[in-house]
Amino acid sequence: MPTVRLRAAAEYPPAAQKLFELSRSWFNHDFAEPPAMSRVMAWDLEFGGPHGRAMKRAMAPGEFTRGEKEMVAAAVSGINACEY
Amino acid sequence: MTGDAVWYEAAQVVGITNALNVAADTLGALGAVDEADGPAETRALFAELRDFYGSDDVPQGFRFIAHDPLYAADVWAAARHAFSDNRLARRFKEALAFAVSVSTRCASGATLHLSQMRRLGVSPRGVMEIVGVTQMFSSYTKIADTLQLEPDMGDIAPEDASPAPGGPPH
Repeated sequence: MPTVRLRAAAEYPPAAQKLFELSRSWFNHDFAEPPAMSRVMAWDLEFGGPHGRAMKRAMAPGEFTRGEKEMVAAAVSGINACEY
Repeated sequence: MTGDAVWYEAAQVVGITNALNVAADTLGALGAVDEADGPAETRALFAELRDFYGSDDVPQGFRFIAHDPLYAADVWAAARHAFSDNRLARRFKEALAFAVSVSTRCASGATLHLSQMRRLGVSPRGVMEIVGVTQMFSSYTKIADTLQLEPDMGDIAPEDASPAPGGPPH
């Protein structure tokens, strides 16, 4: 059970709604509620904004494809024993 | 990256990389095997390693586990298979191993796989792409763990209904 109460998207201000739109487009998936991590990052946009931009920059296709980078991300998450 | 086969292949790379990094980082007390004093099997193994890595150096982990040359030969056979071009290219597998080594704070592994990435044509910009992914997901995972978030994106990817290699249909 999460340490915090994860707020529904409707409980966030308009600036955060933009981030949820980006999240939907990033994952190309129509979530009933934005993923928990998106809602966590939207809590404080002065942190979540630049953190999300750094992530998008890192994950963008370059010498390695987006798919390859998702695989690296999965491996790093596994190494860090993170189920999320 | 659809289908399970590429993920099995990636898991082999992650697993054997961690196994070699564990040995490289912790077995210094055993002392590195000097091939000049070792049996023919050790010399043959080290020659294969030099050829595979295109380097005069033999990775540290193998120098430690070569105290048992038959064991080391089996570990190498698994590692060579895992790192060879298959569905995933060796160039990407070295990048994956680099990310694993950075994540586990294994300096010798990070150095080895960084040199292999460069040897196989990855530019400094490409290296930074892998650094970025590794660093950002080292952040996301700890944020998720601190808040004890539960997985909620498991149904994004479709299930692969194909059988195990050589097996009957699912």
